[in-house]
Amino acid sequence: MRAWNRFVSWLRAVTQRSRMEGEMDAELRFHIETFAEDLVRSGVPREEALRRARIEFGGIERAKEECRETRGVNHLEALAQDVRYGLRMLRKNPGFTAIAVFTLALGIGANTAIFSLINTVLLRPLPYKNADQLVTVWGYNRTRGFTTNLVSPLDFADWRSQNLVFEGMGASTDVTYTLTGTGEPALLIAYSFSSEYFHVLGVAPLLGRTFLPEEEEPGKNHVVVLSYSFWQNRFGRNPGIVGQGITLDGAPYTVVGVMPAGFKYPPRTELWTPLTAIPEAANHRDYRYLRVMARLKPGVTLQQAQTEMNTIAARLALAYPKTNKDEDLTNLIGLREIISGDIRPALLVLLSAVSFVLLIACANVANLLLSRAAGRRREVAVRAALGASRARLVRQFLTESMLLGLLGGAFGVSLASLCTRAMVTMFPPTIFNLNIPHVEQIPIDGWVLGFAAAVSLITGAVFGLVPALQAGANTNGSMKETSRGQAGGARGSRFRSALVVAELALSLILLTAAGLTLRSFVYLLRGNLGFNPEHVLTMRVLPPSSKYKTGAQLIEFSNRAVEQIQSIPGVKAAGTVTFLPLSGWQGSRSVALEGQAIPQNQRPMALWSSVTPDYFRAMGIPLLEGRFFGERDNQDAPGVAIISKSLARKIVPNADLLGKRTNVDGVKGAVEIVGVVGDVHHLGITLEMTSEIYLPFAQAPPPILCFAIRTEEDPYGVAKAAERAIWNVDKNQAIAFVMSMSQLAAESLAPQRVMMLMLGAFGGMALLMAAIGLYGVIANSVAQRTHEIGVRISLGARPGDVLKLVLGQGLGLVLIGVGIGLGGAFVLMRFVSSLLYGIRPTDPVTMGGAALVLAAVALLASYVPARRAMRVDPMVALRYE
Amino acid sequence: MDKQMELLQGTLDMLILKAVSLGPLHGYGILLRIQQISKDRLEIQQGSLYPALYRLEHQGWIASEWGESENKRKAKYYRLTAAGRRKLQTEAEKWNRMADLIEGILGTTAEEV
Repeated sequence: MRAWNRFVSWLRAVTQRSRMEGEMDAELRFHIETFAEDLVRSGVPREEALRRARIEFGGIERAKEECRETRGVNHLEALAQDVRYGLRMLRKNPGFTAIAVFTLALGIGANTAIFSLINTVLLRPLPYKNADQLVTVWGYNRTRGFTTNLVSPLDFADWRSQNLVFEGMGASTDVTYTLTGTGEPALLIAYSFSSEYFHVLGVAPLLGRTFLPEEEEPGKNHVVVLSYSFWQNRFGRNPGIVGQGITLDGAPYTVVGVMPAGFKYPPRTELWTPLTAIPEAANHRDYRYLRVMARLKPGVTLQQAQTEMNTIAARLALAYPKTNKDEDLTNLIGLREIISGDIRPALLVLLSAVSFVLLIACANVANLLLSRAAGRRREVAVRAALGASRARLVRQFLTESMLLGLLGGAFGVSLASLCTRAMVTMFPPTIFNLNIPHVEQIPIDGWVLGFAAAVSLITGAVFGLVPALQAGANTNGSMKETSRGQAGGARGSRFRSALVVAELALSLILLTAAGLTLRSFVYLLRGNLGFNPEHVLTMRVLPPSSKYKTGAQLIEFSNRAVEQIQSIPGVKAAGTVTFLPLSGWQGSRSVALEGQAIPQNQRPMALWSSVTPDYFRAMGIPLLEGRFFGERDNQDAPGVAIISKSLARKIVPNADLLGKRTNVDGVKGAVEIVGVVGDVHHLGITLEMTSEIYLPFAQAPPPILCFAIRTEEDPYGVAKAAERAIWNVDKNQAIAFVMSMSQLAAESLAPQRVMMLMLGAFGGMALLMAAIGLYGVIANSVAQRTHEIGVRISLGARPGDVLKLVLGQGLGLVLIGVGIGLGGAFVLMRFVSSLLYGIRPTDPVTMGGAALVLAAVALLASYVPARRAMRVDPMVALRYE
Repeated sequence: MDKQMELLQGTLDMLILKAVSLGPLHGYGILLRIQQISKDRLEIQQGSLYPALYRLEHQGWIASEWGESENKRKAKYYRLTAAGRRKLQTEAEKWNRMADLIEGILGTTAEEV
């Protein structure tokens, strides 16, 4: 109650200021006038009475001030005063302000940028209702080591009907469509959703509706729900789109709904169609191709659901041992985790790096403030003499540093928004499934701004506290003009030296991290992909099954297209492959030599692709043994295959495989191995080489053709001609991802490249700031020791001696900093190791190199003031007493 | 007449509460009332009276309203609130206990130790 009373009184005081002031005036005037009247009554003359009354009352203004203070009005008033005064002080020292604000802007900007990235990838709420209840459910095959196995329709049906933990379950599979009828044919990335999928996600359509259960049946399934971006780009947000038709794969589809703008699941999906189970899946429990999304019932934890699903999977494994023996487990992964992918460790490293940068910036600005405080001693003394309390002075100094922090923060946010544009390139849109989250933009939203404001204020308090306390402690200091050799000087400069040592140590740690990622990136760049990415143009073509119903049609299409492309001037070789390396597309099958009695579930797995004869030549994949495919390996010829080196080693170590026959899952009859080729880094250079098996396209034609075209000059030079060649064969065929192999290779390293650039930038910033800090300390000490140096010179010290004296001081700090930094780097770099390739986190060359760079720059920073010390004129220095 | 005494630290609040407990008064009136009860033996800094009044009002022990004074002017009158009455009581008890204690200490003779 009392607190409330006080609050109301405070509120009234703050909000009704002028009224309160008026009342206070009236009250005091009443007092003095009544007092004067009493004096007049006791015989004092009227004029004299008022004067006497005023004098006896005492300081009226002071009384008013104290009255105001009782109501807490003064805090606000004082703050405004401090802010005004602080701004004036900052304006008076533009050089100091500029350096401090710039330093802080770097530190806060870097932190804000990384936070905005973390906010986008890890923190921002997903655009689904209660998104933390959403989990993806996968099969888990322990024998094979498949932790996120796709699910068969039959298993899915049992999971859905038997579980008690999910509110709903939906299944999906990725599909592609060729859109025709609106300009150039376009390849669309789409998903087929079971009818409950949208309900599980909890997102309602913007227009129309989502799918009805009966629309999963063949014949009724030619309906489509559009994504907002597709609706916007293709139909100009036509509100009457629902009910209209579009042509997908040459067949008519009816638009039944449009999803809202924020909804794009899975990422990159342009439209959705109903999920109709493949007929073969109706009686094959091992026909696994579905991705399952489920919503936990309220109160059910992920662990409980996991236990329940494992029980169901174990029961199915018992009931259907033939197909499910090794599928007796499941794997539940939260949607958020699936979406953010493998980026978490990288983000944590970046976050620690920027917090180091901020610490260095803080130390630097604290140093600046301390050296400026020396120059403000007189000001402090004057203010103390005029009645400012110590607390008031500390508050004044803190206000100033917080102002600096906020100014730095404001510039920092602008820096950060520039930085976010660079960071988006970390997530190239052309790469699929390489464990990189899909990020189209990194917004600076309210959370990011709040973060920046909080960091700015905290930063201001951190770097301002010690200088403020020191300034406050100086209130009894002298107003004398000279104050050389003050008692506090030694302690102050020791503190400043400690700050610089910390800066040097932190920068060394950052430099080491930057050096390691740089060397690791160079290692990746130099790494052999297993093929030659230079001068190769790629494009992806998916002939629609509605038009290309038989393998023969696909073979004809491919033969004619490859032939046309090969006749383009400047093309050296052209071929097609099902799954282009580095594209993120892949398929795997089990392989076993004919006659080897290995159970299906223990056979080695290999990535497979169907290729046309010239594919290997176009990609530059070397032939190690035997021969490439040729024209003779056609539909009527005996089945053949080419395997990669590591698969050869896996199947039969140390034996000649040529001419041996092998069984490949999904291929009828055994095929003869006619060649062995080199391994490629199909999944990206950061991952292991993969075992591959290649089949001739003419014998196993899938409806996916990725063209690889080796050119003499710039691969993009033939892009238009190659597209025309394909449209000569089929004018309605969509062509997607026209890009050079080297670009694809570069994009597959995008996260590593951005990581390297960012750590390099942070290391550079840290180095620069530490150098500035060291320079400040040495320059300050030279200035303080001018007198001493003058004495030394007049006593016979040569310039070289002075140089040694000053450089020695700098070198001492550098050595301590490097020592601590190396120790820190040794301990901390193990947290970076998951981001490194081909280099140990404690690589001595990198550490030594970083230490040398730091020492060289630091010595340079102390050399500048040392030269100034050398030129001290002893006469001037001694006279200046 | 006794020499005027300076007010002990912290006792002004108690005296103000006592003064207004006898009936609503304006600031100047409170000053006069205290001087009158103390038979002019207490010297109160006039300037320090108002901050004390504002503080007591802020804490809710006295309340104020504008009224007309004896000399027909607008004046701000202070009166004791219920909380203020309780406060005055506890403060007075505390004061008496303290006074007894101090008196006891100061009155101690050598034989009693």
